[in-house]
Amino acid sequence: MSYDAYLEGEPVIITAALTGGIHGKEANPNLPETPEEIGRAAGAAADAGAAVVHLHARADNGERSFSTDRFEAIDEAVRRHADDVVIQHSTGGTGVPAEQRAQPLRTDPPPEMASLDMGPLNRYEYLTSENTRGLVDALQAEMRDRGIKPELEVFNDGHLNEVHGLLDRRDLAAPVYATLIFGGGTLTPPRPRNLLNAVDNLPDGALFNTLGFGRHQLPLTTMGILLGGHVRVGLEDNVYYRRGELADSNAQLVERTARIAEELGRPVATPSQARKILGL
Amino acid sequence: MGCPYLDYRSEADGTEFDAERAYCEAAGRFVQPMRADICTDRHDIDHAEHCEIYREHEGPE
Ligand code: SF4
Repeated sequence: MSYDAYLEGEPVIITAALTGGIHGKEANPNLPETPEEIGRAAGAAADAGAAVVHLHARADNGERSFSTDRFEAIDEAVRRHADDVVIQHSTGGTGVPAEQRAQPLRTDPPPEMASLDMGPLNRYEYLTSENTRGLVDALQAEMRDRGIKPELEVFNDGHLNEVHGLLDRRDLAAPVYATLIFGGGTLTPPRPRNLLNAVDNLPDGALFNTLGFGRHQLPLTTMGILLGGHVRVGLEDNVYYRRGELADSNAQLVERTARIAEELGRPVATPSQARKILGL
Repeated sequence: MGCPYLDYRSEADGTEFDAERAYCEAAGRFVQPMRADICTDRHDIDHAEHCEIYREHEGPE
């Protein structure tokens, strides 16, 4: 993917990260947590232009859940409100045993996509999500067996090496799809030149998605559109619409991104276009 | 067994929720859902080891 993809006006896939597993309604009361809330948010996000929804599961009090049943309940609600959107489950989970990390892959039907964290990252002062190569390979093997496309989550530049290593160790169906992530802590520092550098270091033929946390969501996703990539927005990554103003909804963030993409000459991909681009 | 500072509340400081949520009495605020896994010693996590708020509150070892 390249600037040429921008010049040629190739469709941009918008992924809506609706809920996440770190903050919840205590950060923004509009963040959906229950299956029905997530389903409704998916419907509104899809109407606004999201082709993919990235899902985590939660208990009714907002706390993290990894259970297959809970993911199935969420998927069922999503399907009621957005019957064509591509469903992507998270397999992330700081401090959670490997067996539980695989639970989101075991829904019936399986998700079309699932996230695959490319390496370690720190959380708070004393926790690390280790994401060992052994765990990455085990999750990728289960995804392959169940026909699930991995979305490779690149939290920092070291994880770019891990993407190349994963491709050396394992067979991944083309096109490889990597999300380049920018923010504080263990993440790549959120600066424009670092997005350019990350794109330059992707494997040949890889497609990329841009994710910027907090106030970096808008500028870096806009830059990702110009660089011919795809983008992820939503309340998981950013609870504000602009400085000091909480976002009303995931759809509000998707609408803005869709508007920018169209203005920049890249049409917003429908779910069926996204399936074709991603090889689903 | 969980952290002794953990409480479940549906209201505090003018903020209300439909379901009771994890509230930290040491910090005086609702905690993030991910942090609630520390407060409840869920999975492989232990509040005494993994929560900086608890460790600060309990003082130097
Ligand atoms: S945030 Fe820390 S101190 Fe507060 S209840 Fe949770 S574990 Fe205990």
